[in-house]
Amino acid sequence: MTEKFRKWLDGDIDVMENITETTLQHDASREEIKRQEKRLRETIWELPGTGRIVGAERRTALIIYRVIAIISCVLLIGTLLYIVGHLPLYGVENPRATEVTKRYVEDGLRETGAVNIVAGMILDYRAFDTLGESHVLFTALICVMILLRKDSKNMRSAYEDYFTVEQDTYFRTHQDMIIRKIGFFLVPCIFIYGIYILLNGQISPGGGFSGGAVLGAGMIIFTSAYGFDKVDKFFTLKLSGYVTFAALSFYSFAKGYVFIMGANGLENHIPKGTPGAILSGGMILPLDIAVGLVVACTMYGFYSLFRRGSIGGN
Amino acid sequence: MIAWIRFAVSAVLIVTGLVSFAAGVIGNCRFGYVMNRVHAGGIGDTQGLFFIVLGLAFGEGSFMDILKLALLIVFMWNTSPVSSHFLSQVEYYTNPNLYEHMERK
Repeated sequence: MTEKFRKWLDGDIDVMENITETTLQHDASREEIKRQEKRLRETIWELPGTGRIVGAERRTALIIYRVIAIISCVLLIGTLLYIVGHLPLYGVENPRATEVTKRYVEDGLRETGAVNIVAGMILDYRAFDTLGESHVLFTALICVMILLRKDSKNMRSAYEDYFTVEQDTYFRTHQDMIIRKIGFFLVPCIFIYGIYILLNGQISPGGGFSGGAVLGAGMIIFTSAYGFDKVDKFFTLKLSGYVTFAALSFYSFAKGYVFIMGANGLENHIPKGTPGAILSGGMILPLDIAVGLVVACTMYGFYSLFRRGSIGGN
Repeated sequence: MIAWIRFAVSAVLIVTGLVSFAAGVIGNCRFGYVMNRVHAGGIGDTQGLFFIVLGLAFGEGSFMDILKLALLIVFMWNTSPVSSHFLSQVEYYTNPNLYEHMERK
């Protein structure tokens, strides 16, 4: 595999290799055909000029690549420096730097209903930004799944597979008593703490991202203590997908409603509640829960994919 | 007078804890092999934290504060040695060249 990759990297990949292997699988004289092909290939590659042409092509491609890389780097640096030069100076009175902060601090509680002004900022004033962050997490999970998931199209080599299966079997049969006992005592505490952080995002420090991270860490500890079999019974790939999809679409629709109402000057029918209670802050609590679920699914999905190449055993 | 004695005791205890943490940090930076680093990291999390919490308890004295600090000790002493144990167990079972690191040099 690595040799093949190196060959592909060097530019002399063997296109015929796969074709002959698949089409001539049941042929008796496969070795003979292979030998002939190899001879043919050697004669082609040994022709005067072939190597030179390929080398020249590669050299031009390399030069073009480097020129483009340097130009884009210089452009990016120049743009960023230009923008830095136009930023407002620190400590200077200007409306861009002071008015927004003043509005957040003075009117944040009245306008969002959240005692924790940071939660009011990230989930009410700047909810669009948080929506993008949640989608970034979802996209990252999808990318890791594309790269690392083991299925029929993406099998690893037999040796690696054997090695992982052997290791998993070992850890399943030799489960450590210390970790199991501590996990039995610790996992409920961690879950309760994560739910507490999640539900109190609008009245105390915390919120969706931190609470979801604690929940995901609790699931990882549970997996380390009791093995993947116990988690696979309720947390499958399908459930993870459903939960993430439901949370993200709920976020989008809820925030879309609020944005449309606010932009058109219509009345917002979501009650703000009394500041300081659990049910306060309008949409902040449900949005916190949605973000937390996405984060928890992503964290456990990363762990599971990196550990054994699948979520929920399939 | 009693306040000064309490301050002195708590200061000595906190400095002892900080020395343990410093030993852990230096060991984590100086050692190369994972087992040694797990050992060095565990010192700060158990001994250093115990002395610092003891010093804070002497300094504060309020019952609720001591209760919260005791809860901190319970959780940290349950989790930190177990994580060290888990790390070294994984290292023991997965490193094929384990015995090369155990030779006395």
